[in-house]
Amino acid sequence: MSDAPRSWIYRYPLLVRISHWVWFVAFFVLVGSGLQIFNASPNLDASDKSDPARRVLAIGSPSDGHGTTTLFGRTFTTTGWLGWTSDGMGGRGAHAFPAWTTIPGYQDLSGGRRWHLFFAWIAALCWLVWLVVSAFRGKLRDMVLRVSDVPKLWPMQAYYLKLRAQPPPYGIYNPLQKAAYTAVLFVIAPLVVITGLALSPGIDAIAHPLTAIFGGRQFARLWHFAGMLVLLAFFALHVFQVFTQGLANQMRSMITGWYQR
Amino acid sequence: MRRRLFIASSVSALAGCGPISAALNGNDGVRRALASAEALNHALIGTHGLAREYGERDVDRHFRINGFATPSDAHYADLLASKFARYRLIVDGAVERPAAFSLSRLDGLARQTQITRHDCVEGWSAIGKWSGVLLRVVLDEVRPRDDARYVVFRCMDNDGAGTLYYESLDLHQARHPQALLALRLNDAPLDADHGAPVRLRVPTQLGYKSAKWIARIEVVGSLARVGGGQGGYWEDQGYEWYAGI
Repeated sequence: MSDAPRSWIYRYPLLVRISHWVWFVAFFVLVGSGLQIFNASPNLDASDKSDPARRVLAIGSPSDGHGTTTLFGRTFTTTGWLGWTSDGMGGRGAHAFPAWTTIPGYQDLSGGRRWHLFFAWIAALCWLVWLVVSAFRGKLRDMVLRVSDVPKLWPMQAYYLKLRAQPPPYGIYNPLQKAAYTAVLFVIAPLVVITGLALSPGIDAIAHPLTAIFGGRQFARLWHFAGMLVLLAFFALHVFQVFTQGLANQMRSMITGWYQR
Repeated sequence: MRRRLFIASSVSALAGCGPISAALNGNDGVRRALASAEALNHALIGTHGLAREYGERDVDRHFRINGFATPSDAHYADLLASKFARYRLIVDGAVERPAAFSLSRLDGLARQTQITRHDCVEGWSAIGKWSGVLLRVVLDEVRPRDDARYVVFRCMDNDGAGTLYYESLDLHQARHPQALLALRLNDAPLDADHGAPVRLRVPTQLGYKSAKWIARIEVVGSLARVGGGQGGYWEDQGYEWYAGI
């Protein structure tokens, strides 16, 4: 960087650090247990009831030793990765996602449901506490993308792509961070929670519109899965950035709160 | 270098996850903690809502068959051969007037038809047109006593190892206006594969609550002595008794 003297800033208050790591654990468990649940019926249909004519994704094993993935009607051979994969017991079998991606790490639908439904509560309650306290403390305004941030999005991206020497001026979070945090915390994560609720027959019975707005139960399952993929992409990018933007400094700041600028 | 270290540590972390998740998943304390979500969901969502009813054009003409294999024992074969003329639905336990209902007597009670969606715990859904008699109508015939809390369904299908299927509802769920003892599917008498002659339909909960091939309905005060004590075959395997989610 430069020879300018470095300064310490207290970047993340305790609540942010705790909620960050709670989400990290909850997200890890929710993805793994979600894939376990997906494996019990590895199809996603753009419809209310199951309907092969409206199938968007199907992961299967047409015969022993073969795994296939069909996306929008196009079938790919995915043996070993999807369809015909490790069973977590030392062998292979007809499992959509391999056992090493699922929680528990072997076929156990009831176990997967227990983990999923428990950590769904943890993640949602953590979000609620974080939201209320952050809003109360006036912290959200540093974080939420505003109209005035929009013209700074490209200059920031250009800086990352080394097309620009200096980033545009910004506060605690840069405009791209704000855009990502706003999308994830206020759009995608709530959508994943709501589409998860929409899958429940009990909730469908007390709140039909919740299931109906997503196109029905199977469609809600599709949105739920798609939302998970978006969160996973955010997670991958997030971790990549932590590694490229000074791992020790980033990790220290998310553990102790102190960030060196 | 750092990145390589990260990849190496991630792979070893993942490799460790299998044994760790197996150990955690098998731990009773962990399982009890995880199960606390069930009570919360039951309290918040409950079973009072009405499942959506569909139109004729939404019906799956070939309703998916799932669950245990169709009973193949001599007793069931005999019932099937007689078109269930000798079948009696026993309803007893904590009731004032235990009864044995023939199919024609059940058929003579107030009938309900519902076109509802069946949501399997595996994730798929199918829509069927079900007709039969509401469970609460049958319960009114036998009059549960004051100590009655649950309704247990004793079935004729087994898991291949000799255990007969069983399920339960509490009295509140059993009196739900859509809790149906179905005798017909898609305008025809239930066939053997769909649970003939009588199966349950509980459209506000997952499919495993909707027991097939019912032989007996037992009203009880507690589920402690039913199977392993969790209230149903799958519940004793770790699935939720409250299956509204």
